[in-house]
Amino acid sequence: MERRLLLFLSCFCVFTSASFLNEQFDEKLAIRPLPDGRVAATFVFTTILKDVHPRDPRTLQFNDESQHYTLFPLSLGQILREYAVSEMHLTLNAGNWNYDRWGYPDEPGVANGAELWAWMGVNQKSMEDEQWRGLRNALAGLFCATLGSLDDQRTTSPILSFQPHDSLPSFPSQNQSTSASSSSSFHALRHASLPSEHVCTENLTPFLKLLPCKSRSGLASLLNPHKLFDADWHGMGVHVSWISDEGVKLRLTFQTIMDPLRITQSNKRSWSLENLFGKGISQRCPVAHTSQIVVSLPRGDMYAIRPEPPRIHEGAAIYDLNQASINNLRQTSPLPLSIDRTLKGTNQANGYLSLVLTNRLPNDSLKILYLEAMPWYLQLYLHTLQSEVSPIDTSLSSDTQKEAKNDLFKLINYIPSIQHSRPTMLQALLTLPPNCTVTFKMHVVKSFLRYTEYPPDAQRGWDLPPGVLTLLDDVDGKGNKIEIGAKTNRIFYTRPLLVDLATPDFSMPYNVIIFTCSVIAFLFGSVFNLLTRPFVVVRVGKEKKEGDKEKQE
Amino acid sequence: MTFSLKTHSSWPQDSVSRLTFPIIAGIRIALSLANVTKSLRSNPLLSSPLDSFLNLQEGVYLFKHAEDPYSGGSFHHSPLFLSIFTTLLPSSQYSPLIWAFCDIAGALALVSIWRARQNTSTSSWGDLITIAYILNPYVILPSLAMSTSSLENMLILITLKFASQGRQPPTLLFLAFLVQVSLSYLLLILPIFVLVNMGPSSQLAKPHGSTVPIRPIASMFGKFLVYSLCLTFASTIIANGWSWTSQTWGASLLLPDLTPNPGLWWYFFTEMFDHFRPFFLMVFSVHLLIYVFPVFLKFRYDPLYASFILIGILGIFKPYPTLASPGLFISMIVIFPEIYAYLRHPVVTVLLYLHASLLMPLFHGLWLQQGTGNANFFYASTLVFACANGAALIDCIWAGLRLAIGPDSEEYVIIQE
Repeated sequence: MERRLLLFLSCFCVFTSASFLNEQFDEKLAIRPLPDGRVAATFVFTTILKDVHPRDPRTLQFNDESQHYTLFPLSLGQILREYAVSEMHLTLNAGNWNYDRWGYPDEPGVANGAELWAWMGVNQKSMEDEQWRGLRNALAGLFCATLGSLDDQRTTSPILSFQPHDSLPSFPSQNQSTSASSSSSFHALRHASLPSEHVCTENLTPFLKLLPCKSRSGLASLLNPHKLFDADWHGMGVHVSWISDEGVKLRLTFQTIMDPLRITQSNKRSWSLENLFGKGISQRCPVAHTSQIVVSLPRGDMYAIRPEPPRIHEGAAIYDLNQASINNLRQTSPLPLSIDRTLKGTNQANGYLSLVLTNRLPNDSLKILYLEAMPWYLQLYLHTLQSEVSPIDTSLSSDTQKEAKNDLFKLINYIPSIQHSRPTMLQALLTLPPNCTVTFKMHVVKSFLRYTEYPPDAQRGWDLPPGVLTLLDDVDGKGNKIEIGAKTNRIFYTRPLLVDLATPDFSMPYNVIIFTCSVIAFLFGSVFNLLTRPFVVVRVGKEKKEGDKEKQE
Repeated sequence: MTFSLKTHSSWPQDSVSRLTFPIIAGIRIALSLANVTKSLRSNPLLSSPLDSFLNLQEGVYLFKHAEDPYSGGSFHHSPLFLSIFTTLLPSSQYSPLIWAFCDIAGALALVSIWRARQNTSTSSWGDLITIAYILNPYVILPSLAMSTSSLENMLILITLKFASQGRQPPTLLFLAFLVQVSLSYLLLILPIFVLVNMGPSSQLAKPHGSTVPIRPIASMFGKFLVYSLCLTFASTIIANGWSWTSQTWGASLLLPDLTPNPGLWWYFFTEMFDHFRPFFLMVFSVHLLIYVFPVFLKFRYDPLYASFILIGILGIFKPYPTLASPGLFISMIVIFPEIYAYLRHPVVTVLLYLHASLLMPLFHGLWLQQGTGNANFFYASTLVFACANGAALIDCIWAGLRLAIGPDSEEYVIIQE
C-alpha cells in the first residue's frame, strides 16, 4: 500500500515537472511616482504556454482534445479553446485616466468601464457572432461582470484601430475532404465597450483565482481589495495573445493610481508597500520563473529608498525576488498629445459632439487614427463636421484660426447606425499641425427610444463609450507612409460621456393607448357617420310633422 | 339651391390684384434668404426624420463619399431626391430659394385648379388663393425649415392641376413620383384617376349618381404601374440595390424613428408593449386604407372634393406628418368657397387650431429645451391638434354633403336618419 502510494506520488511529480517545462510564470510590479504626488503601481502576471497553438476553427465542430495545465488557468483555457479565440483583451477599469498628469499608462487599455475585444478564428461566416456571444457570456460568468450586455447594439469591428498585438496563426489548408471549408477560415475582430460597468471586489476574486499562487504568496499577496478599490484609479486587464515562436501568452494585469498623501495623512510624498497595499510580501511564489519589483526613482529630487536596491538601471531600482532579468522601463515624460471629448448643447433633442486635440510638438505634425463606436441613440451628422485650428499660445492673434477641414479630417471607414440594433462606427485619420489645438465639432441628434428600451434608472442618462485615438507611427514627420496598427502604436482613450435622453412617461402606456385610440375612434366614427347615414329633411312647421319626409341621397 | 359667391365678387379690382402676386412671391423669396431659417431646420414639428433637410444633406454627403446611405437607419429620403440634390441642386446658401420657388409653383398650381374648377380664366380670387397657400403658417414654416414635405405638397398640387386639366401623361408621371417619395399618397390615386376622366367642375350642389368609367381608369392604372416601375427601377439603379425600399417605404410602415412630431403615431408606439407593436403597426397602416372607398363613393360625382377630403385624412393619420400636411388641407379649403355657408362650427375649429398652435411649440420647448415639462404635455397638445384637424375635416364632409339640400329654411331641419 505504501509502495503504491509512493509510486503514484513519484509519477505525479514526474508529470508535473514535465508539464512545468512547457509553462512559465513571471510576475512583475512596477511602481512609478507621478509628478502630482500620486503613485502608479502596475502588476503584471505573465503565463506562457509554450509551443501551443490557438484552436483551429475547423475543428470547432468536433470534440476538443482534453486539456491539462499546471500554471495556466484551466477555466480561461477552456473558454479560449471553445470559441477559437486567438487573441483577446478584456479590461475593467474604474475612473478616468488623466493622460495630462499621469502620462501614458504602462498598460494601454484604460477605457472607462469594461472593454472587450477579440480576434477569433472563424470557419463559417455565420458562426462569428455565435462565437462572440459565447465568448462574452463565458467571460461574464468567469469574471462576474455584466459583459452579457455587450450585445449587438455595442459591437463593432474596427480593424484599423485594434490590430492584433502579436501574431495570428494561419490555418494551413488540409488536402482532405474539408478543403472546401478550410479555404474560408479566417480571423474576425469583435470589439465592444460598456462604460457603465465598474470594477469591484467581485471581479478581483475570480481574477486572483486565475493566478497559480492565488493571493497567498508572491506579488499577488499585495492585491488587497480594501486598498486597491480605494485608489484614485484602478483597473484590471486580461490579455491573451499568441507569439508564433513562443506560444500562447496570458497577461493578467492590475493597475492602480494611489495617493500616498491621502492614505498616510501626512504632507510627505513618501510611501511604502505596507501603507500603499496594507500588506507586505511574506513569501515568494515558488512557481514563478521571475518575480521582480521595479521602482522608478525620482529624477533630480532628493529621495531615500529602503532597503537599498541591489541594482539600479535607467533610473529604476530593481528588486528581484528570484533572479534578475531587466526589461526596458519607460520614462514618464509629458505627452505630446492631450485629448478631450465633450457633448455640448443643452437641448435634449440635439447637440454637438466636440473633440479637442492638442499637439505640443514644436515642429512635427501628428497623425492620429480616430475611432468612434457610438451607440445608435446618438446619431452623428458627418456633413456638419467642422474643424478649427488655433495656436496653443492664446496670446497670439485669434485671426489665423480657420483652416480647411479636408486636410485635417480624412474619413476612412463609416458604418452608419441602425435604430434599435447597430452602433455607428466611424474611423478617420486626423492630422494635428504642430503646436496647435484642433477642435472638431459635429452635430448630433439624440434619438427617442421605446419605453421598454430605457433602463430602470432612465433619468441617470446613458453612458457613451470612450473614443479611441491611435497615435500613428510617423511622429517624426518622416515620409507620408501611414503604418496603421504597428505594435508600438499608442492608444489613447477619451473620457466616456453621459448623454441625457428625453424620456416618455413610464406610467402612461395604458393611458396613451386609450387616449390615442379614442381620438382615432371618434374621428373614424364621425366620418363614417356622415358618410353612411343619408340626410333627411324634416318639416318643423306648425302643420303635420309626420309623413313629410323627403329623402336625399 | 343657388350657389352664390358673395365674397368672391366683393374682392378688390384688377389694379390691386396685378400687384398682389409679385408682392407675395417677393415676400416669400425674401423670407427664404433671411437667416432665421437655420434655427428652424432641426425643429421636429416642421420636419420629421423622413423629410428633414439635415438628413437629406447627410445622405448626400455619404452618397458622395461612396458609402451607401441606405445601409444605416437614419436616411429615409427617396433615391430620386438623393440624385436630384446630389447632381441638379447641390446644397448651397441658395438652397432655400428652391423651397421658395416650390411654394410659388404650388400656389400657381392651386390657382390653376381653382380656374379649372370654376371654368374661368380671369379671377381675382386667385390672389386670395396665393395668399392662403404661401402665407399659411403651417405651409410656410416647414418650407422655411426646408422640409421635403413642402416639396411633396407641391407635387400633390401639380398632380391635381394636371388632373383637373385632364392631361393624363403628366398627371401619371407626377403621381408616380409622389408615390415614390411617400408611399402614403397611394390613397389619392383612385380619385385622381377619376378626376382626369370627369373633370374638376363643382358638382356638390347637384349630386348625380354618375357611373365611374371603369375602362379608362383601368388603362390609367396600367400606365401608372409602368411609370412607377420605371421610377422604381431608376431608384434601384441610383441606390445600387434594393436596400432603399426598406428605408423609405418600410420606414413609414415600421416607424423605426420615434422623434416627436405633430402626428398620432410617435407617442403611441413609444409607449406600446413590444408584443403588440407589429399588430398595431398593421392596424394603423390599414386604417388609412379604410377611408378610400367610402369617401370616393360618397363624392364620386366630385372627385376633386374626394381628393381634398383624403388629403385631410392623410394630414391627421400619416405616420410621419409635419405641419405641412394639415397645412395643405387648410389651404385647399379656399378653392371650395361654395361650402362656406354650410360649415357648422368654423369658430370652434379655428379656436382649436389656435389652441394647438400655441401649445405645441410651447410644450415641445418645455419638454426638450427647458427640461421642465414632460412628454405628456406635448402629447396632449398633439391630441388637440388632431382634434382640430378632425373638426375641420368633419365640417368639410358635412358641408360638402349638406350643400346638395340647399339653403336653410325655418320650416325644415336637416337630420341624418
